[in-house]
This record gives sequence, structure tokens and C-alpha cells, in this order.
Amino acid sequence: MLRLMLVCAWLVLLTSFGIDEPMGCYEDIDHANVFILWGNNMAEMHPVLFSRLLDQRLKRGVKIIDFATRTTRTRMAADKSILFLPQTDLAVANAICHEIIKNNWVHKDFVDKHCNFKKGLVDMGYGLEDKYAFKDKPEGISFDDFKLFLEDYTPEKVEKISGVSAKDIKYMAAHYGNPNTKVMSLWCMGPNQHSRGTWMNNLIYNIHLLTGKISTPGNSPFSLTGQPSACGTVREVGTLTHKLPHGVVMNKKHRETAAKIWDVPLENIDPKPTYHTVEMFRALDRGDIRFMWIQVTNPMVTMPKLKRYRDAAKKEGRFIVVSDIYPTPTTDIADVILPSAMWIEREGMYGNSERRTQYFEQMVNPPGEAMSDTWQLIEVAKRLGFEKQFYYKEETHIEEIYTEYRRHHEGKKHNMAPLQVLKENPGMQWPYVDGKPTKWRFNSKYDPACSNGEAFHFYGKPDGKAIIWQRPYEPAAEEPDSQYPYWLNTGRVIEHWHTGSMTRRISVLHKAMPHAYVELNPSDAKRLQIQTGDDVKLTTRRGSMILPASVNQRGVPAPMQVFVPFFDENMLINDLTLDSFCPISKEPDYKKCATNIEKVI
Amino acid sequence: MKKRLGIISLFVLLFISFIVIWNYSYYQGKEEAYIPIDKNQVTPIIASELGVFERSKFAHDYVAMPNDPEHERTLKEYYGQRAFNGAPPSIPHTVENERSMGENRCLKCHGNGGYVTKFEAYAPVTPHPEMVNCRQCHVSVNTTSLFVETNFTKGTTPTTGVNSALVGGPPIIPHPLQMRENCLSCHAGPSAPREIRVSHPDRINCRQCHVPNNHRPSNTEVFNRAYAHE
Repeated sequence: MLRLMLVCAWLVLLTSFGIDEPMGCYEDIDHANVFILWGNNMAEMHPVLFSRLLDQRLKRGVKIIDFATRTTRTRMAADKSILFLPQTDLAVANAICHEIIKNNWVHKDFVDKHCNFKKGLVDMGYGLEDKYAFKDKPEGISFDDFKLFLEDYTPEKVEKISGVSAKDIKYMAAHYGNPNTKVMSLWCMGPNQHSRGTWMNNLIYNIHLLTGKISTPGNSPFSLTGQPSACGTVREVGTLTHKLPHGVVMNKKHRETAAKIWDVPLENIDPKPTYHTVEMFRALDRGDIRFMWIQVTNPMVTMPKLKRYRDAAKKEGRFIVVSDIYPTPTTDIADVILPSAMWIEREGMYGNSERRTQYFEQMVNPPGEAMSDTWQLIEVAKRLGFEKQFYYKEETHIEEIYTEYRRHHEGKKHNMAPLQVLKENPGMQWPYVDGKPTKWRFNSKYDPACSNGEAFHFYGKPDGKAIIWQRPYEPAAEEPDSQYPYWLNTGRVIEHWHTGSMTRRISVLHKAMPHAYVELNPSDAKRLQIQTGDDVKLTTRRGSMILPASVNQRGVPAPMQVFVPFFDENMLINDLTLDSFCPISKEPDYKKCATNIEKVI
Repeated sequence: MKKRLGIISLFVLLFISFIVIWNYSYYQGKEEAYIPIDKNQVTPIIASELGVFERSKFAHDYVAMPNDPEHERTLKEYYGQRAFNGAPPSIPHTVENERSMGENRCLKCHGNGGYVTKFEAYAPVTPHPEMVNCRQCHVSVNTTSLFVETNFTKGTTPTTGVNSALVGGPPIIPHPLQMRENCLSCHAGPSAPREIRVSHPDRINCRQCHVPNNHRPSNTEVFNRAYAHE
């Protein structure tokens, strides 16, 4: 289900560098001079890491630039706030590249030695129809082709599309261009939950590659991750349909390695990936899928265009099993509910944004018959006749699985630390080589996997070079028009983790943030005579719902935009959102669709 | 002639130094951004003493301040604001600007304290004013209802009373010190809870006499000297 969250980040690391996970680490924060936040309300969404930024500002006077569509707490703490219109971050990033080339800020030596230029297909569509398929066709281009392409993205031209003044674009470009400034770009769901998410991620890497500001302390394009399982469970371990613990199912070599470790015949691993998340629920609706087992996620709150998929799950002839620790809207549609153990009720491990794997021990026993999600899978697999492959003993299964998992990643590029090391340390970063974590990958000073004798080696690609992608600006799947004149944006709040199935049960957090609301710009609110607390009706092409208004409170959207947090299962904003997704990563765009608003009298 | 030569050589010298300095700064500018990395820092076992003396300059003012029992907090109120012992206190008042950050809002009152007529109370002083993202941890209270009923109960909180090692000895610090190194912010001044206000804030160096004891009782063996003189 984390297809809903971080696949763009993962896929781009694959398209740009041929290998997953950021090259830098949190220590970059202690070295960088300028932090550029791309569509990222870090003060609320990554508050602990944001405090580390603020701490550095007190100590060293660093600069924080908040490049966003909405005014948030992050802006109040930032040195400079730049607002852009939804989807136009693509154009602004290209304009920054244009400025970098125009002003000769390109790190020529670095680009010549370590980068290739490529372009992919354009006009990809938005995946709105069932069985939508897309395959990118990368094509090599020259630096001059790239330069010519950027002629369409002068700051003056982009100013008209994005609403960002040419001066502000040049201001950001100058930070990236200044050879004496160390810049860290930070982003999360803004560029990821984006109908051109893969492109947007590519573009941020482009800026860092052009200026050579990458893989060195403080120079870091850094894709932030939600901590519990986004990096660890999905991206590293390989729970996506096309993924293996190491590599992808389409690759015969990767299949062979996995089959050997798992001790299964090669034919058992289908070289053809099946459904991605949105298509999977569409298949459930059509009847192509009739059985579904949902673990560690709450899709009946988080799926975009939710009504269709909720109705699909309730259809006759569908059998849904849900494992969870608390009742949720997803357990409401279940035919069978399996009680799971909470994280303190089982042992396990998780991986975070900086490639750090951490081990945690069981603290208390799970109540009643509840058992860990992992053990549920093992028990079912044993009954399916895979006793040989699922040989794990209950007392030691975590250790056994982890030891087996390590075998998938042997080698300097991804080696995992032994369990004993994880237990003795506050987690350990991979690649763990010769008893040491690798803090900056692709930099031969820090990364023992570099083998080309140069300062940098992007060993994820066969020729050791990273890719600078030519990616244009394209509009969103559904933009405001006369009937639905407002942008609808959704997101999180600091009090609640995602759908709040755990955090809403914590009294102090529920009391602080009891229900969802719709944020309006004060100018729109004044025109429509809406005050905080008034009922507002939101209508999109998917349906309508009533929410209390919030004017000038937690966040202030730009004029003609509204924002609704998605945590509240009693006000399911995802009934209204659009299920368009990035054609390359298949990650839905929760941040952009068109809506109308009216005051309820 | 000699004089002219002197002037010329002066200018030549100036010119050469210009070239040298220009070259130096040019290469400085081109140098790659690289900082040697320190070794892994080890998490300290002993609590940091940063900020211990932060508020000591007010110590004599605290001594001179008269008591104001009507507007004092009690220890029960102090712990009542928290979800459990050790949790950050909630914000009991409305927050004017939801987007505010510590430096420009919260610290105006909670940096130094003082009497607030509106709430008829003294603003508590934060022991960690250097952490400015206040609402990373402190949340407001916007409703009294619950999402679902819960059987969660707070654990026990430290109580006052004699916990000294010897009769007449200084009491032991019964709580952890992380983010609470600055004793005077909670133990002195009119916003300090009545029961835990110290009678001698002017002694400043609290931990000269008061030792922390925030460890759960565990099977610590009796201390033995590794090497004893015969």
C-alpha cells in the first residue's frame, strides 16, 4: 500500500542513479548552509528533523527557504517563503536549471565525468482509466539538446505559469549555483504525490547533478520518508509487485538470486509484475481480483476516489481479510479480521530515510490471540504447503528472516549489518562494509563500493554515470475551471499519524486535533462570507461533503485553493479526491484536483 | 632616480601581492565543498549540564520576590497538564496564531515568565528555551471528548517528602534531567509549583548537593573497588 506514498522517490533514485535510497544522511544537516524545502511542511510532518534544522540555524545561521503552495508553520520559521501554483514546480525546477547553465554555474568537470543526459516520453496521460499502461522509452541526448530544451523555461516565461517571480527563481538558482554554498534539498509528499512525481524528483536531482552538489557532506538532495515502514518495509525489502528483496522480477539474474536463497523453482517467480495499488483496487471492482488480504495499512481512508473502491470491496463475491490492531474503516469492510500485535508487542526492525536499520525488542505480550503480522504470514504459508521455505521457529523467526534477508544484499553496495550490530547500536546504516556504515554513497572518500578510481562513482548504472533527465512541465490531470474553480489539496497534521487509527486513541492528541476541517484563504472566505467554524460544502466531480471552515488558523492556502487533512474517518476527504497517478511510479496525486466550495446556510 | 625606482618597486610589489591574493581567493572559491567528518559521537550516559546556570542571574530576584499563594500552581496542577509523567505539558490556553513558532510567540511569555492578568496566573518558564519548535511536542486542547473510551491511566508521579539519604541531607532529584537541566526555571520564582519551590535559589549550584536519582531500582551489585591496597 505504500505505493500511495513513496514510490516516486524510490523510482527516481532508480531512474536517476539506478539504485535505491538517498546518497546522503542526516549529518548533512550539520554541514549545509542553505536548506530548500520543496513542497514540504517540515515543521509539522518531520518535526524532529526540522528542530535539527532550527538548532543549526541558532548555532550557525543557516538559511531555510520554504518553497510551497500553502502557508504553514514551516513558513513562519523559514527565512524566505516562495509560493507557487500547484503542479508548476516542474517549470520552476527547469527554470533553475536554465539559470544554472546560463550563468555558467555548471560544474563542468563533474557533469562530463559522471553524468549522461536522457529524455523520456511526454504526454503520458494520468492513469484515470482502467487498465492504463505506460512504459517510458529513455533516449540519450546531448548537453546542447538539454540546453535548447531549457530555452522554454527562462525565469520570465516560468513566472507566467508558476506565479513565482523571476527574481525569486533567480534567488533560488543562485544558492544552488554558488560554489561556496552547501545546499540541501528536502522534500516528501509534495513532489511524490504528484501526477508527474517521477519527473519532479528527477528535476531536483538534475539541479544537484548539474552543480555537482551531491554525495558530499552538506550537499544533498534528500528525499524524506515517514519513519515506520515506508523505506524499510516497502522500498528496501521489496513488497511491491515488481520488486524482489534485491532488484526487480523483470530481471532474470535478480530472479535467480532470489529463487536460490528462497529455495524455490525459478518458475515460481513470475517475471511479469501484476497490479499496482490503484489498478489492484480497480481489479477488485471489476472482479479480476476476488480475494484480498490487507495488512499494516488503512486503504479505506487513504485510497483516492475512495467511494468506488469502498463499494468494490463490499461487492458480492469479494473476500477481504484485514489484519489490524484497532477497528478502522478498513476492518469495517472485512469478511475476516485478524488481530495483530502492535510494535511494542513484538520484536522487529525498521529502516529510516538515511538508510539506517534499527532493531526493537518486544516489550509486552500481545493481548488475547493477537499475533504479529509476520507470524500470521508464516502460519498461512505453512498451511499452503511451503513448510520447507517457511522453516522459521516462533522464538527466533525475526533473527532467521533477517539473516536470510542479509543474503540478498551481500556485497559492498548494499550489505546489511549483522543483527548483533543492530542490537548494540542505535541502528546501523547500510551499506555496512568492513565494520563501518557508509554515510555518503557514490563518493569514493566515504563509499568503499566506488571502484572507478574517480572522486565519484554512480555504480547503480552500468557505465557508472548518473542521469540528468529532460522532463517538461505538463498540467495536472484535473485543473480548476469555471464549474470547479478551486484547487483541492490534502495532507497531514502534526498531531495525527496518517489515518489516526493509533494517534486518535491517544487522548491528548485527539483533544488537540479532534476532527478534520477545510482551510480557506482569508480573501476567499471574506468574499463567500465564511468564518472559522461555519459549515462549508465541497463539491468535486466525485461527490460532495460538508466540513467546518478554518480561516487563518493552522495553514493558509493561496487564494482559490483549499486544504483538507485526511486523517478523519468521519470526514473522508478521499471520497472527493481524484485517482490520477504518476504513469511511471503509479503513485496517486492527492494534492491536486478541482473543487467548488459554498457556504452551507 | 633612486626615488623613482623606489616608487616603481613599491607598485611592482603591490601588483605582485594583488596577483597572489587574487589567485588565492580564486582557488579558494573553486575548492570543492568538503569538510572532514568527525568520528561517531557517542550518546552521553550522564545528563548534559547545558543551561544549568542559565537563570542564575535572577537568583537574587527570586529570593526577594514575595509569595503570592492565590496565584501559585500546585504540584498536582503541574502534573495534571501532562499525559503521563515525563510527557510534555499541553497548552491550556487558546493559541492566537496556530502557525506560530517559539521564538516569535511562545517565548515572549514562557522565556522569562511573569504575571498574566488574562489567566490570573504566572506564566511558567521553560527550562529549554533553545528548542524553539515548541509545538513539535506541546499540543493545545480543543475538545474534552475522546475518540474512543480508553482505560489508559497515568503512572505514578514523583511526590514531595523526605527522600534524603540521611536525616537533614539534601533531597535527591526524583525526575530525569533531559531538557530539564535548568533547575531554577521550575523550582524558583512565582510560577514554580508551591510544593517544589526552593527556599534558597541564591545558592545557584543546585547539583553541588542534590544528586539525581531517576533510575528505576535495579539489581545493581554492591560497589567494590577493582583494586584495593593491601
